[in-house]
Amino acid sequence: MKHRGRGIASMWYPVGFTGYSNPSGAVVKLNEDGSAVVLTGTVETGQGSLGALSQIAAEALGIAPNDIHIVSGDTDTCPMDTGAIASRTTYITGNAVRLAAEMARDTLFQVASGMLGVKPDQLEAKDHKIQVKSFPSRSAPIADVCNRAYNGVGTPPIGSATWDPPMVPMDAEGQGKPFGTYVYATQIAEVDVDDETGEVEVLRITASHDCGTAINPMLVEGQIDGGVYMGLGFGLYEEILFDKTGKQVNCNLTNYILPTSLDMPEIDEDIVENYDYTGPFGAKAVGEPSLVPTAVAVTNAIYDAVGVRITALPATSEKVLKAIKAKRAAEQKQIPA
Amino acid sequence: MNVTLTVNGELRSASVPPETTLLVLLREHFMLTGAKTGCDIGDCGACTVIVDGKAVNACLMLAAQADGRTVVTIEGLATREGLHPLQQVFEETGALQCGFCGPGVIMTAKALLDENPSPSTQEIRTALAGNLCRCTGYVKMIDGVHEAAKMLQSTETPALAAPQQR
Repeated sequence: MKHRGRGIASMWYPVGFTGYSNPSGAVVKLNEDGSAVVLTGTVETGQGSLGALSQIAAEALGIAPNDIHIVSGDTDTCPMDTGAIASRTTYITGNAVRLAAEMARDTLFQVASGMLGVKPDQLEAKDHKIQVKSFPSRSAPIADVCNRAYNGVGTPPIGSATWDPPMVPMDAEGQGKPFGTYVYATQIAEVDVDDETGEVEVLRITASHDCGTAINPMLVEGQIDGGVYMGLGFGLYEEILFDKTGKQVNCNLTNYILPTSLDMPEIDEDIVENYDYTGPFGAKAVGEPSLVPTAVAVTNAIYDAVGVRITALPATSEKVLKAIKAKRAAEQKQIPA
Repeated sequence: MNVTLTVNGELRSASVPPETTLLVLLREHFMLTGAKTGCDIGDCGACTVIVDGKAVNACLMLAAQADGRTVVTIEGLATREGLHPLQQVFEETGALQCGFCGPGVIMTAKALLDENPSPSTQEIRTALAGNLCRCTGYVKMIDGVHEAAKMLQSTETPALAAPQQR
């Protein structure tokens, strides 16, 4: 018979380790036509980080993401980046790109200051224009300002920056702040457990994630979907098995089981935005955190459904059935003869 | 041995050793590297192509078995006018992340939509069950197949209707 259960799990996850150096560098140069080139050492692996970095540069420069050309991952030409690891790209590389873009933009403010007859600090970059704050009709197209910077004033707008998350060192009591910031999440799993086979079917996962500002909500959803999927594999299916000599015995996808499209539940991605003052435009992270609570939410749901605690993952049908049988046996023993 | 087959609308021939798989024929003799070599034993679906209308793991089919048949690979979908609706939707909605499984997933989805123009979510899930993806959790892929099905039904010449806003 199938039993329905619900489980909940929450987590926090640190972003931007300190303790040893964790920098990213970036170079942003504006071209004569008002488009821009960003050089970054980070690597796009499909998560969409270059898209998010384009948006960050575009926001700082007042142009569109399509106007940004990114050169990435080439150690011959790009500044150093600690890596596409530790859910750090948006937070740390994003800050470096923001700072470099702001530096290039400040050169434009200097140039436009002469063109518009106001002080540089009275200017803002918006909608492909350099304009006077709260007086946007007094403006110059960003391409004109760029062209003037190159060919009139002689100050090509180029910015470079690095960012390393600030550390609060340990005090005498061992207290400090080891990470730049933290993200939080809660996931709820709804499962059906068959008490005759031990089979667990996950019906729905609701995943609420704080990621700071969601620079690109579609990509954030994609990261949550992928994280839940990996968390589900971790919780129910995936396990590397070794024989006594230390050789892996399930080194094919036939016996190392990934969830397929038939195993995936409905996923409700719930983005809980807040503004983190240390992140680029308030952004933090979402990549790795998205898979942290899934397996726990599922095993809690199994407990809610059939009353057994699975404490060693993955919670395979065999393990769940064994636990159900052990529970039944223990309950029968308690009945006085 | 000699094999002759229609690949993406073009009649092509090659002289290959008898143990050559369709995947090796496509990738190494015809230089069509869109179909990916993943597990090479039929588990992952990254090599999926369409043979006579059916989605097939090209790593499990011998080149000789494809002799005289019609094969469509991912390279055969986009036209001069634009991407196939599946490709367009997958690109615009983030249905792929690293993209390695993408050609196989899209060919499986195309074979499904050719046979069943408005599949249910369960039918899409069943069709995609042989294509493993490590990144996306299949969520936006399933949504994308629904979306592409709608686009394909909304016009009589779907391949030509694709290029809006490109």
